[in-house]
Amino acid sequence: MDSTMSRRSLEQMAARRDRSGSLWLIQAFSGLLLVIILGVHMIAHHFIVEGGLRDYQQVLDYVSNPVVFTVEALFVVVAVIHALLGVRAIITDLRPSAGTLRAVNWVLVVFGALTIGYGVYLAVALQQLAG
Amino acid sequence: MMDDIQPTTDPARPKSPLRAWFDLRGRSLSTLAFALNRLTAIGLTVYLFLHLAVLSLLLRGPDGWDSFVRLARSPLFLTLDVVLLFGVVYHMFNGIRVALVGMGVANRQQKGLFYGLVGLAMVLFVVGAILIYTK
Repeated sequence: MDSTMSRRSLEQMAARRDRSGSLWLIQAFSGLLLVIILGVHMIAHHFIVEGGLRDYQQVLDYVSNPVVFTVEALFVVVAVIHALLGVRAIITDLRPSAGTLRAVNWVLVVFGALTIGYGVYLAVALQQLAG
Repeated sequence: MMDDIQPTTDPARPKSPLRAWFDLRGRSLSTLAFALNRLTAIGLTVYLFLHLAVLSLLLRGPDGWDSFVRLARSPLFLTLDVVLLFGVVYHMFNGIRVALVGMGVANRQQKGLFYGLVGLAMVLFVVGAILIYTK
């Protein structure tokens, strides 16, 4: 054991490893959930529809279905969490300092919250447009 | 501090972690699979945010959205859709392998799992690409 390494720093390293493990699990489970949701999203939006994309009225009709609305809102939440945890994992591989990683965490949390907020707002606004 | 996390850096050829990503010499299949997973992840993340931005066109009414739909049916966009589809199916099916192996499932069958799942992904990719161009 390195004598220069204090007990506190060892505990901090262990806590960081625990947190990385928990975040990895969240990313793995959100990824598995995305396999289903993204699969449904792609088939419903791009492979069933003639021409590969719905026109304006078709989109509104589609989103007015409460089940579709719920799945699409869930899709935004899960996709953003999965994507930003992936971004964090890549940044972590570049071996940033603890301070940089803390700043990155905050930026990703704020950016993720804003994106999820915007995505859900978009889904709600479209449902209201559909009447 | 993070010395235990360096999956893309070969200790025999030390270089910066970022540069090490692009050096394919002597890489094992799992490392290449990992690198492609990362590459597709970056592409899909960029696409996710672009997609949300494009969807905001719907709030401008039918003119904005329907003109985008016409543009999205052009050959160039369809080709980009095919590239996107490759990223989605590869990342999805290799991701299933990564999640399973990471959770301790099928550790010893990792190579077979890779060939099976990525093979299935490529079949879906070809079928999807044909549908993109013909539907």
